[in-house]
Amino acid sequence: MIFFATIAPVFGQTLIIGTVKNIDGETLPGVTIRVKGQATSVSTDDEGGYSIQVPQGSQVLVFSSIGFQEQEIIIEGRTTINVVLEPGSTLLDDVVVIGYGEQSRQTITTSISKLDTRVLENVPYSNAASALQGTLPGVRVQATTGQPGAAPRVIVRGGTSINNPNGATPLYIVDGVFRDGMNDINPEDIESIQVLKDAAATAIYGSRASNGIVIIVIKSGKSGRTDVRYSYDLSLSSMDIGYEPLSAKDFVYFQRLGIAAVGEKFPAELLKLSGELSVGTGNDLTDRTAYTTQYLTEENQHKLNQGWESIADPTDPSKTIIFNNTDWQNVLFRTGVSHNHNIAASGGSEKATFSTSLGYLNNQGIAINTSYKRLTFSLNGDVKIKDNLDVYGRLMYSNSSNNGTSGENIFLWAMGLAPTAKYTFEDGSLSPGPPGNGNPEYRLDKLDNKNSTDNLTMVVGGKWHILPDLVFEPQVSRFTYTTDARSFSGAYLNGPTTLIDTRSASSSHVKRTQHQADAVFSYNKSFMDSHNLEAKLGFAYFETVNQSLNASGRGAASDLIPTLNAAAEMVAIGGQESKQVVAGYFSRINYDYQQKYMVSLNGRYDGASNLGNNYKWGFFPGVSIGWNVHKEHFWNALPEGLLSFKLRASYGVNGNIGGLGPYQAGGQYSVGARYGGNPAIVNSILANPDLQWEQSKTVDVGSDIGLFNGRINILFDYYRRITDNLITSLTLPHSTGFGSIATNLGSLENKGIEFDITANLLPKTSPLKWDISFNAARVKSKVLKLPENGAENNRIGGIYIWDPNKGDYAWLGGIQEGSPVGNLYAYRQLGIYTTDEEALQGPTDMLVPGANKTKYGGDVNWFDTDGNGVIDERDRVYMGNIYPVWTGGLGTSIAYKGITVLLRMDYTTGHTIFNYRRASTVTQMSGDQNLSQEVLRSWQKQGDVTDIPRFVWADRLAGNINRGNSEYYEPGDFLSLREVTIAYILPSTLTRRIGMNNLRVNVTGHNLHYFTNYQGVIPEDGDQDMGRYPMPRNIIFGLQASF
Amino acid sequence: MKKAGLFILMTCLSWSCTENLMLEPVSEISNANFWKTEDDATAGLYGMYVRLRVPASSSFFCWGEGRSDIMGPSYLGAVADFNLYYDNALNATNSAVTYNGGNTTWQNLYSIIHHANLILRNVPDITFRSDATKNDILAQAYTMRAYIYFLMVKTWGDIPLVVDPIESVDPLTTQKVRTPVSEIFAFIKEDLDRALELYPTANLTEDRNTWSKPAANVLKADVFLWTAKRLNGGEIDLNVALTALNDAEQSDVVLLDNFADIFEYTNKGNKEIIMAVNFSELEVTLGTQRRESRFMYIHPAIPPNISPWAKAKIGAPSPNGGYWTPRPEICDQFSSEDQRKDASFFQIFTQNEGDDSTFYATLAYKFRGTVVGGSRVFLDDVVLYRYADILLLRAEVKNALGLDPSEDINAIRQRAYGPYYADHVFVPGSREQNDEVILQERLFEFLLEGKRWWDLIRFEKVFDMVPSLKDRVGQNHLLLFPIPEVTLALEPLVTQNSGYN
Repeated sequence: MIFFATIAPVFGQTLIIGTVKNIDGETLPGVTIRVKGQATSVSTDDEGGYSIQVPQGSQVLVFSSIGFQEQEIIIEGRTTINVVLEPGSTLLDDVVVIGYGEQSRQTITTSISKLDTRVLENVPYSNAASALQGTLPGVRVQATTGQPGAAPRVIVRGGTSINNPNGATPLYIVDGVFRDGMNDINPEDIESIQVLKDAAATAIYGSRASNGIVIIVIKSGKSGRTDVRYSYDLSLSSMDIGYEPLSAKDFVYFQRLGIAAVGEKFPAELLKLSGELSVGTGNDLTDRTAYTTQYLTEENQHKLNQGWESIADPTDPSKTIIFNNTDWQNVLFRTGVSHNHNIAASGGSEKATFSTSLGYLNNQGIAINTSYKRLTFSLNGDVKIKDNLDVYGRLMYSNSSNNGTSGENIFLWAMGLAPTAKYTFEDGSLSPGPPGNGNPEYRLDKLDNKNSTDNLTMVVGGKWHILPDLVFEPQVSRFTYTTDARSFSGAYLNGPTTLIDTRSASSSHVKRTQHQADAVFSYNKSFMDSHNLEAKLGFAYFETVNQSLNASGRGAASDLIPTLNAAAEMVAIGGQESKQVVAGYFSRINYDYQQKYMVSLNGRYDGASNLGNNYKWGFFPGVSIGWNVHKEHFWNALPEGLLSFKLRASYGVNGNIGGLGPYQAGGQYSVGARYGGNPAIVNSILANPDLQWEQSKTVDVGSDIGLFNGRINILFDYYRRITDNLITSLTLPHSTGFGSIATNLGSLENKGIEFDITANLLPKTSPLKWDISFNAARVKSKVLKLPENGAENNRIGGIYIWDPNKGDYAWLGGIQEGSPVGNLYAYRQLGIYTTDEEALQGPTDMLVPGANKTKYGGDVNWFDTDGNGVIDERDRVYMGNIYPVWTGGLGTSIAYKGITVLLRMDYTTGHTIFNYRRASTVTQMSGDQNLSQEVLRSWQKQGDVTDIPRFVWADRLAGNINRGNSEYYEPGDFLSLREVTIAYILPSTLTRRIGMNNLRVNVTGHNLHYFTNYQGVIPEDGDQDMGRYPMPRNIIFGLQASF
Repeated sequence: MKKAGLFILMTCLSWSCTENLMLEPVSEISNANFWKTEDDATAGLYGMYVRLRVPASSSFFCWGEGRSDIMGPSYLGAVADFNLYYDNALNATNSAVTYNGGNTTWQNLYSIIHHANLILRNVPDITFRSDATKNDILAQAYTMRAYIYFLMVKTWGDIPLVVDPIESVDPLTTQKVRTPVSEIFAFIKEDLDRALELYPTANLTEDRNTWSKPAANVLKADVFLWTAKRLNGGEIDLNVALTALNDAEQSDVVLLDNFADIFEYTNKGNKEIIMAVNFSELEVTLGTQRRESRFMYIHPAIPPNISPWAKAKIGAPSPNGGYWTPRPEICDQFSSEDQRKDASFFQIFTQNEGDDSTFYATLAYKFRGTVVGGSRVFLDDVVLYRYADILLLRAEVKNALGLDPSEDINAIRQRAYGPYYADHVFVPGSREQNDEVILQERLFEFLLEGKRWWDLIRFEKVFDMVPSLKDRVGQNHLLLFPIPEVTLALEPLVTQNSGYN
């Protein structure tokens, strides 16, 4: 065998050897060499050398490497071929991984975006999906939280859903294994990421393809090149934007005046002034009260020397109130210090290659108690057993863990707690704070939670050249996902005097086991040098089993043991199992004539277990065509390389069953409930045996343009996707007694354009490299059709308001034909009444609570849309839509010798955010919430001109904010300065001396700033902002060494 | 090698199609395999009661008492939307967003109707070991459906009549128009007749938290008294009510000597109870605890200067107390000789310097829940009917028929005033005077039990008694609730109650 493999000729094969260099004469390792029309490929070794067995009759060798132009060399009987590769664009000559195979960008006829992996180089992402933000046109990536490890929302081309467009996530495929997302994958292990966007590209994945496919390839070894790499990142994270809460002094002033004002109408409220509340004077220095405010006395005046402050009681200036100011944001937020280590080795001979890596990330959040730890292993091995048979095995494992603390809760805590609340008692111990959301540091200290998730992927596969042109590729994989979680709350004080010693404890174990088996036959043939044909036929089987166990108990005798065994009393137990099977047959035929005219046919016949019994199977075809105009003769009129131009068009049908439970179609009766000790069964889900595939049909036309020998590359796409039979949770009439039912209804249109340009501004020969890139995507969605239900536009839900376009009242919002989903409506604030007299002139406000509708100076002057002199529910107006319209990014990098400077930005526009967090802190909604500094410019006396209404306790009594005030519906448009990196590669003469091949250091700023008018902490997500965990601003020091 | 490849190919291609995609659920019950056995029927029956808990946890009280003269703000002031009830400020928009009052749409009620309809559709086809068990289940479903429709028709007037379980999503069949009140009442009465025929025994159930023949009879009396007074049912209906009450009384029910014992957490299912909705620890999540009570108690910031006695009586506070409470004007009407006073509420005073004290708050004490691990949980049963209902309904019926109601009223008073009864003996007067006394006695007896608003309507005293309605005489649409906008938005065939447009 060894003899056959190394000594030519065998079975009429020829051995070709040679060396590959760049234009500077340096040898190039890692260049891929393959025989055109065949699957055989080898790579160059460290010295750029290669050797490849070529079957007789083969004509052409293809040399390709990222960053270089692909070259096709006609063999012409030679046995030694040396090649010089010219630096090329990274775009049009790139090899792109598509479903069950790969293809050169030259011949691709569909819409596929490939990630420039430079974005993965400098930032140690806790979730690699974040790297897609602003880098791939048409892929909307939104961070909704700064929590370590949290997955961003990834939506391709707007998603195909009416009632949850934000849940229409793409399908992720990691080395052929289906996954829900990119969680817990070490970005360092990623070789490439590509997103298949149009229906012809994704049709080969049929049933789950309509929301796009993200294909991730994990690094594997290259023959002839051994490499050991180590990298380390140190990240310092801090808060970029926080809130500006009112100081304790201002808080006492406004809150006391607000209570006094309300007391005129509701005298009982006045008790708050003397009670043990946030500004009440009933507090004292003992550990029986939660707040610090109290009248100055001889016993407490020493506190003024210990940093406490004082203010004349605004309701009775003859008295002095003292208090202590705690900035809870300071208590809760910190500088996070994170470490990321990776070590990887790869290499191999012509017979066998391997790649292995070990990674450890310890990511500390900027809010106390939040963290994310990830340990990853990967092992990839490929062995050539016979000349025509390769087998491989892949193993990927990760463990991630955290302590179950939600940063969102901490953030709400920080904003919800009055600055006058006690942080510590007089003896220095932590105060439990007021009841409910108490002192977070105290409460977090009483929690003992642990979450741990294991992901294990095992893949075995092979590649068998049955005939030189016919390859059979089977692959079997098992993916398991296991989460173990436990939580325990020790005895704690809820408020200074109430001891809660329930000591709740719970544990859960969730396991998902997924098996996949794929078998693909490929036939690859070039005829007469001109006709290139690739045909695939395959079968895929997917099966997933979800199991869970959970239990909770309480009543442990002490705080010593956090696990369930200490619980004296059982509270609940649970255990579930479910299964889903999807199976399909697929085929693809790619044909091109001299790479000039391309056509591709795709199809998949898919069946899924969770659909209605009447509609298990569906067929999903796709067709695409392309024309490389620059390969035509008439193009020779132009100077060579000046302009390359490809036109492409595609049409396809995709399916989708996302979000559908495994047995939803059959209806469900839930168990577990009891009534007076008797087990009860409740009808919880309505059956729908007619539930069928959601089908989206996409037309995509696009163009790939290269200018000046590929120095400028442009990709452009226009698409229109119509999704019919949307699997939608249809909101039912209340008189059915059910909230909703899963059904197929209506159709949705997503229409958009995508544009991507990359340019090398300086000639290839210039020692200074400067490239820029820019991309933009626009998507608009609209409901086209809904089932007849007797309402105008077959509307489901909505509100009845004045429609200025119609000049009449109408039902707007909800879901209706001809309109987008996600519209927001609220009352428009025209201004703030400057005086009581002015307020009396305004329209009658029916939303003022109580019988007395009088408005005063400082109240909001609302827009009376219907002009009837009355403000009521019908006066709500359109505020915007929660979904973005434009998304994209821009970047540039400048490299000179070893130094690279890289800058990346991304932007999103068109979405509106209801900034509830801000609205709820410009007035006292109820109780003792902390307030924002905007209160300082609130209306305070007759004649004040401002945009913030008078401060009241509580807004519900005045109705200035809570009803939905236009001032707090803010555009979320933003431009993010996502990454700035300076990297330096030490000269090889220097690094060789210390035994390294390569040493790179970088300093990176990540999430540096949002340029936005939005007044919350994260402007990325539309809809309602209840208070979000701020995005950490990271300063990263990185080091990469290879040996 | 080639043979092996061929074998794999054949295996792939011959993979049988649809059979492998037919998966039976492991941990779930699907439509196809339920309603087959007696056990299914029993579990489905309790499922109906589980659904009953949802509106019983708050909506029953909000609808039946929240709008009446009893309720007002507590020491935290008019917060958290409860004021919409006692201010009678509900309209199409705010009646569905009142988060603390629970979901005020009729969805949760129709969910119970759906379960009753499922039982009535499926149980007749199931083979039982004994027909008595089967009939009992069917009778309970009929009673439940009657009770819920009775509650809805009082609340909203005309309502959609749904008599079959929902099995289709066709908007043309799920969308329904409102059926007139008179037809709804005819349907309710039919259901009750069917139920009363089916009940295998005339006994109460052991735990007294499921429907039984006596409970169905009290409900029947309640329904007929309503139609007698509100739908011109006259003496015919009154006589039906009287018979039903007399029948119900034959069961094992008594007045407990100690009024407070009726509501003690540890004394659920006592002999005064006829039907109560069960709430049990660990069966009920936080969200379905009795919310109206939770917001009536005192929240943890308790003034330091209250008496140790009061502090001890409060015990663990409610996480969200202080929102609403019986008004002082109502509390003041209780005589200190009436044992119902201390069992229903208590008032807290703060002790100031000297002997001076200031009123701070009224706490509802009747449904104060219990304490688990330091936390107060509101898990009292919601009493739908108890023996006192029989007595006072009968007094009301008799008085309307021109008969002497003294016996029943005095039975109530004897228990209430105990040693002081002699000073409180009822002596009949004119029919109007007697009505006034009965209404007042119901106030004392049933405070916080979710009946006052219906009482005021039956006695036509709404505009006389409710402070927020005194200057709105003639606005009779206020006797019904508005239909929430969210309901109208989903049910294009349903129209708003006139007056709320």
